[in-house]
Amino acid sequence: MLEIKHTLCPSCSVGCGINVVSHEGDVVGTYPYKRHPVNEGKNCLNGRNSVEIYENKLESAIVSNSDVDIDKAIDEICSNLKSKDNITLFCSGNNSVEDIEAIKNFAEKNNYNIALYADNIVGIDGEVASYDDVEKASKLIVIGDVLYTNPLIGRRIIHAKDNGADVYSFTPEGSVTANVSDEICDSIDDVLNSFGDNLDESSVIVFNTVNSSEDLDKIKEISDKRNSKILPVFSKCNSKGACDIVNAQSKEEFVELLNATDVLLVFNDDLIPEIDFDFASISTIVSFVPCENSTSNASQIVVPIKSWLENEGSFVNAMGETQTFDAVIESDALGVDEVIEKIQDKL
Amino acid sequence: MSYFLARSKNPDIQEAGECGGAVTSIFKYLLDENIVDGVLALSPGDDIYDGVPTFITDSEDLIKTAGSYHCAPTMFGDIIQKYLSDKKVAVSVKPCDIRSIDELIKRHKINPDNIFTVGLNCGGTVSPVTGRKMIELFYDINPDDVVSEEIDKGQFIVELADGTEKGVKIHELEHEGYGRRSNCQRCDVKIPRKANIACGNWGASDGWTFIEVNDEKGEELIKGAQNAGILETKSPSQDAIDARLKVEGIMIKMAKKNQDSNYEKVSGIKEWDRCIRCCACRDVCPICWCYENCELNKSYFDASEVPPSPIAFQGIRLSHMSFSCCDCGQCDDVCPMDIPVSLIFDKLQKKYQDRTGYVAGVSDDVKPPLYSPAKEEL
Amino acid sequence: MSELKIVGLLCNWCCYGGADTAGTARMQYPPNVRIIRVMCSGRINPSMIFKAFEEGADGVFVGGCHIGDCHYDAGNYKWSRRSKIVEDILEEFGIEKDRFRHEWISASEGEKFQTTMDEFYKTLQKLGPLELE
Repeated sequence: MLEIKHTLCPSCSVGCGINVVSHEGDVVGTYPYKRHPVNEGKNCLNGRNSVEIYENKLESAIVSNSDVDIDKAIDEICSNLKSKDNITLFCSGNNSVEDIEAIKNFAEKNNYNIALYADNIVGIDGEVASYDDVEKASKLIVIGDVLYTNPLIGRRIIHAKDNGADVYSFTPEGSVTANVSDEICDSIDDVLNSFGDNLDESSVIVFNTVNSSEDLDKIKEISDKRNSKILPVFSKCNSKGACDIVNAQSKEEFVELLNATDVLLVFNDDLIPEIDFDFASISTIVSFVPCENSTSNASQIVVPIKSWLENEGSFVNAMGETQTFDAVIESDALGVDEVIEKIQDKL
Repeated sequence: MSYFLARSKNPDIQEAGECGGAVTSIFKYLLDENIVDGVLALSPGDDIYDGVPTFITDSEDLIKTAGSYHCAPTMFGDIIQKYLSDKKVAVSVKPCDIRSIDELIKRHKINPDNIFTVGLNCGGTVSPVTGRKMIELFYDINPDDVVSEEIDKGQFIVELADGTEKGVKIHELEHEGYGRRSNCQRCDVKIPRKANIACGNWGASDGWTFIEVNDEKGEELIKGAQNAGILETKSPSQDAIDARLKVEGIMIKMAKKNQDSNYEKVSGIKEWDRCIRCCACRDVCPICWCYENCELNKSYFDASEVPPSPIAFQGIRLSHMSFSCCDCGQCDDVCPMDIPVSLIFDKLQKKYQDRTGYVAGVSDDVKPPLYSPAKEEL
Repeated sequence: MSELKIVGLLCNWCCYGGADTAGTARMQYPPNVRIIRVMCSGRINPSMIFKAFEEGADGVFVGGCHIGDCHYDAGNYKWSRRSKIVEDILEEFGIEKDRFRHEWISASEGEKFQTTMDEFYKTLQKLGPLELE
């Protein structure tokens, strides 16, 4: 039977609502969720395509490239965990708040390392700007092509602009963000140095990319000095929530940790394209994923878990608001917490 | 053509329905007699501002679809086309829903023998988030306290749990940028006469639904529901018929005025330069159904250019379907960049209308003239 | 001023023949037109016209068979209806109506092809190069 259910878009940290259409128990498409306060039924292409994950679902656990029973895979994981020393659990903004808490407990109980990588953005504590703040800002510094990458925050930038705000950006010439900007700069330094002093308490620095922790320090320094707000926009839906539970690491810190890791457990993420590291140097990689990705393809053990469509829980969006969501479709797959429980039982 | 005043004979439905529950009763008749596999209608999601399309197969569940929504700008045409084309479906339709269904029938994407359409007169819809903001700002009421809303006598009226009502003139709201969606403000099709029947409260006495029967299928619907003992009908007075036509006339006049003021701006749309080519406008459009085979995806067009050149993006879409645009405004609603897409599509359909007399989803032509094999020039 | 560019989409059976006739008779016409032969004016998609303009054409010409002479019976009727929509759309995007022209020219009408091209070129000269926003 045809059903349309509300959930949250997992494609970035803006926290848009999206309706998922299911038919005869299969996910078949999306439908605008116009009642949702963040996006009013507007979703970008990534958001609307995020249901495609359903078609590529992983059917069974894999150990050394062959399909195995899930219990067999769990046994294999446990023997690795017991026999080796340096164990790192990697979580990311793809995991729900509840999942990350389960991963953290698991790490603490067994004395494992826990790692979180969130777009090289570290140490953002305290309040960030809300989307309304962006809309009502008098001046905006935009770092990255936010209109294209995070259109539903981009839309607030357009509203601000319509309300008379000045927009200064570091974004490629000719990009959509550049097209709505008053001034375009060549580097993060340039935009902060040239226009940082124009900011006031109703200004916001919106950014979705930083190259280094120096960039980040500079952004924080200017916002402190001018009393303006910042809004970091992450690439994953719950990175903000994850950072509140686990300390995020910079790229360098994370690579250092990987160097000292023998067993790496990756919870629902695709690390390999994101981090420049020789992953073959880690003796065992275990992936918990709903569908194949390049990290799971390089993993010795792969365990299928629930995708966002089958999961329930909560995400914290970029402005720090906790949003809950329900499963849109039933599934036999295990959740992250259930997998961890199974492993813990056998340790 | 015949007119009826109708209401449900089922007390629960009569209570739950907007105007005596006639529409819900007709759906119940269709389901109970197994004439349809299911009913596509709206049911409340998060609150009364959230109408969620729901496919009902058990008539016991129909009660939750009773009542009306003015803050649920949904579209049924593409849902039926995409997911329910193999089923017999009864559906409640606003004028833009039936217009898109009509266009899809002309494109052989919906089989007219498979659907029963119960039309709802429509003075326009309000976007849910805008509606809530508007109630806070202009009514000084917490939007969560509102139990129902309606559009009557030029006012948008909200009702609270204790029965008190408060109305503000739509004209005032719209002047401030709130009120109905901009495509609704200029929409001049208020009664869905292409549906089997058209229902509403215009001209009806309290507790009754005024029904205009548009075709034979509609007549059978009314007769069937009467015979099943679920629908009670009487004939409306001439005064009631006139009153209804008068309301329609005023609404259309208002719409035409808005068309004149809106259309001047079209060639000056500057918003194209923030288009991110997400194709949401195309994907949501009930008339567009080619999907992967869309001209925009063809290799001879550069699909990576962002923002795309307006002529190579919207120009192509316009040439493909603007003559069939039923101005449902879905493209405006879903555009992440707030580009007023529908304005230009509607304008082109009006231009086409002036040339050919063809009104999308309203004219009786078998095909839009552009698709016709006839040997004649425009 | 850079040379004006004209894209000419000509039907194989009539107008292309007309252009050929003009050529073999050594009739002079502006060399700015780039001819693309299509099998029928009825197969011309509006997007071809738009693509031509987008990629730098200053004018687009479509030539088909006279009404009643279509090799495929009714292709030129279809084109003629479509051309109206193209005109309406071009206007909306700030492209002057006169930059887009269509004409029925038979294979024997070399002279008509010549004069049409002359006229069209002069019109475009007056309008100057197209600047798309």
